Amino acid sequence: MNNWRISAVSFAAVAALSAISLSGTTALAASCPIKIGGIAPLSAPGAVGAGEGMRAAMLLAEKDINKAGGILGCDVKIVIGDSEGLPEKAKALMEKFITQDGVVAVGGAYHSSVGVGSKDIANDRHIPVVFAETWNDTITGDKQKYIFRIAPLSSWASATLWQAALLVPNIKKVAILTENTDYGIPAAAETTKGLLSGGVAAETFGVDIGTQDYSGIVERIKAGNPDYIIVLATGEAGYNFTQQAADAGMGPMDIPFQAGQVSLESKAYWENVPDGNMAFVQRIGTPPTLWSEKALALNEAYMAATGRGVIESYAMEAYDSVVILAQAMNEAGSTDGPKIVTALENISYDGVLGRIYFPYGTQKDPSADSKGDEWWHQWPDPAMTMIQYQKEGQNSVDAPIVWPDVYKNGDAIYVK
Amino acid sequence: MEFSYIFWSVIGWMVFWAVAGSLVTRRVYLRRDLDTSNAGFVGAMMGAAAGPFGLAPLWIKTPEIGKRLLVIPPLAAVGLIGIAFGLADPSNNCVSNGSFVASQIMNGLIIGIIYGFMALGLSLIFSILGVVSFAHGEFYMIGGMIVYFMTAVWFPGVNPAIAILAACAITFALGAAFERLFLTPMYEGKIDRPVEYGILITFGLAFTLQYFVQAVAGANPFKARRFIDFPILRLPSVEDPWLIKTSRGNMQLFDTVSISNPRFTAAVMCILVLCALLYFLHRTWTGKALRAVSQDREAAAIAGINPDRMNMLAFALGGMIAALAGAMLVQAFSWLPQVGAIPAMRSFVIVVLGGLGSLPGAFLGGIIVGLVEAAGTGCVPDTQRAASYIPAYGMIVLTLTLLLRPTGLFGRRFAGGAHGKF
Repeated sequence: MNNWRISAVSFAAVAALSAISLSGTTALAASCPIKIGGIAPLSAPGAVGAGEGMRAAMLLAEKDINKAGGILGCDVKIVIGDSEGLPEKAKALMEKFITQDGVVAVGGAYHSSVGVGSKDIANDRHIPVVFAETWNDTITGDKQKYIFRIAPLSSWASATLWQAALLVPNIKKVAILTENTDYGIPAAAETTKGLLSGGVAAETFGVDIGTQDYSGIVERIKAGNPDYIIVLATGEAGYNFTQQAADAGMGPMDIPFQAGQVSLESKAYWENVPDGNMAFVQRIGTPPTLWSEKALALNEAYMAATGRGVIESYAMEAYDSVVILAQAMNEAGSTDGPKIVTALENISYDGVLGRIYFPYGTQKDPSADSKGDEWWHQWPDPAMTMIQYQKEGQNSVDAPIVWPDVYKNGDAIYVK
Repeated sequence: MEFSYIFWSVIGWMVFWAVAGSLVTRRVYLRRDLDTSNAGFVGAMMGAAAGPFGLAPLWIKTPEIGKRLLVIPPLAAVGLIGIAFGLADPSNNCVSNGSFVASQIMNGLIIGIIYGFMALGLSLIFSILGVVSFAHGEFYMIGGMIVYFMTAVWFPGVNPAIAILAACAITFALGAAFERLFLTPMYEGKIDRPVEYGILITFGLAFTLQYFVQAVAGANPFKARRFIDFPILRLPSVEDPWLIKTSRGNMQLFDTVSISNPRFTAAVMCILVLCALLYFLHRTWTGKALRAVSQDREAAAIAGINPDRMNMLAFALGGMIAALAGAMLVQAFSWLPQVGAIPAMRSFVIVVLGGLGSLPGAFLGGIIVGLVEAAGTGCVPDTQRAASYIPAYGMIVLTLTLLLRPTGLFGRRFAGGAHGKF
């Protein structure tokens, strides 16, 4: 064979191999079933109860997507991964999703530290992520192309806490118990700032995630004689602290007390905090009385699948985080990351949480409307309310919404 | 801290004289051909407590190091730190609020008793088998699980005492079976590296138990109901109950000290079982046999004791003690398959602090760790950090102790390498 022929054949072979390797990702992604990663904390020190709810919701999403025809003619497979609520585990999990499982997008996630820890890996690999329940402002504030969020910003959620706290009669001093995580530390700082703006002092007590014995802290808080207590600890830590505070005569029945968000899971709450009546609990998402047909149907399926009570907001967020990705892929007509991002930036998705859209991103910077960077790829309308358990054993869905006025259906009872 | 320079100046002074005391005292005792085993420790403590004013007489007279010298200087050093802290931060609750201090001491004592009790099981296993059981936390978890499922799921309304007894029986049997099946190769010379084998096999047991329970019971947290409610007491009178005032879940003593029901009942049970255990170890033939094996396996065998049986008994008993601690605390803490990880870690710290294989050391170590944690949580001025450092407080005490007394508080030279065999 002549030299020029050898060169031509070699060139063609190299070109063909290059083409195959370059299109490898797409070929893998387009192969059926299409895989979407689903992050949830399924073992300690993560919020395991919440994680199990999110897993169930994401598997229901898989079922609903496939029932509706799948994505681009393929079935969808949700690959569930356990973050344990730890950033280092989340990084490893994201690597595994992308390099081993071949996911084309990722949904779910509960802890902010998990979002903060894993987002760079997804962004660098051009894998779109819709975070479900990670609040830390920097997750979207870093303005990364592939990162979206349908949970509220930490600063918004904190505003719910301090604005509701300022309504407590004669309030002068608040004790905040927070976990030392990417969620807890900024949330405590923002809540403190908000309380100070209302002339109320706040003292923050930090604990490591997974702490069980709070007796020393409870005594210290008690010695400070606060008028209100706010718990910013996720998972069973919230239960442990609230019940131990109640044992020490400083629980929700003794002083106005805002328990952690995990307290929305009524069955687990009453089992772990039998003396937790009168606790205020922050709820993310539309109140059940305003749920759409879609949300009601999901709730029925969720209760049947899990045997738990009414679906929690984080489970609804997990469901929507997956289904919105499926819709984006169908609208993009592709599983390519950049095309999914474009579709998400233009999406109008009627989810169980409401109509989800992302007004700011590569097409319109938040600064155009004088918004902060955290508005990037951020759903602007998550509803936030404050409920109060007013009967022992009450379901969180039946508990009255006491704040804000737009959703309010009952008056708060302030003990003490 | 208002006058932090006072505190840090005193700490600097203490550290300087402690280091000098430790180094020089040992040399002085060595030069005079005296026992140096505790010289460094006593020198350091004397230096920290009294500086040159304590060290000079010590170096001149070089008295025999007895219990008095081992106990008084450390207590004086702790007292000096307390005084410096009081002067530096007079508005701190630990300085200005007597009832707060009393409550924190009580909290530290109660949790310390429970820590010490759990560590006792680990120490018992180590003293007989020479094995550090990495499955100790899982026995603790299973004890709580059994009590929860018996009282809340399988037989709702059953007396918690029955559930606790069942938890003890099941974990005792589990420990005995595991020891027979997996640890006997260590004593029979079938294993080249028994230390590593013991670590790995108990690690394996820990993972197996944890994930088995997670598969069966799920990973949602739950908690058993309070075993008993406190009777409503108002003493000496309803109008002025300054002595005792109780509610269902709480007891207040002297209008100051607050004790929660689950922790109180757990601590009382731990003390009762500890007394029973001491009786068993010191007054029964089997208990004496156990202690004999821990001291000298060969001599014990010559005296007619079967060391193999003692191995099995020690492992089963050690696991059962951990399970009993869990059984009592499932009414205090939310329970998960991973709940044993932190208590197990703490037990390792306590066992090393108290002295490997020493039962009194384990118990005292537990109380020390409990008190130090309570002091740190209550007194560190920065509330954001005070409770975050809970695991670190015990480690600081452990590090300092090992630095000055490598065998721990009550450590003895363990028959190293025995690992259950002759």
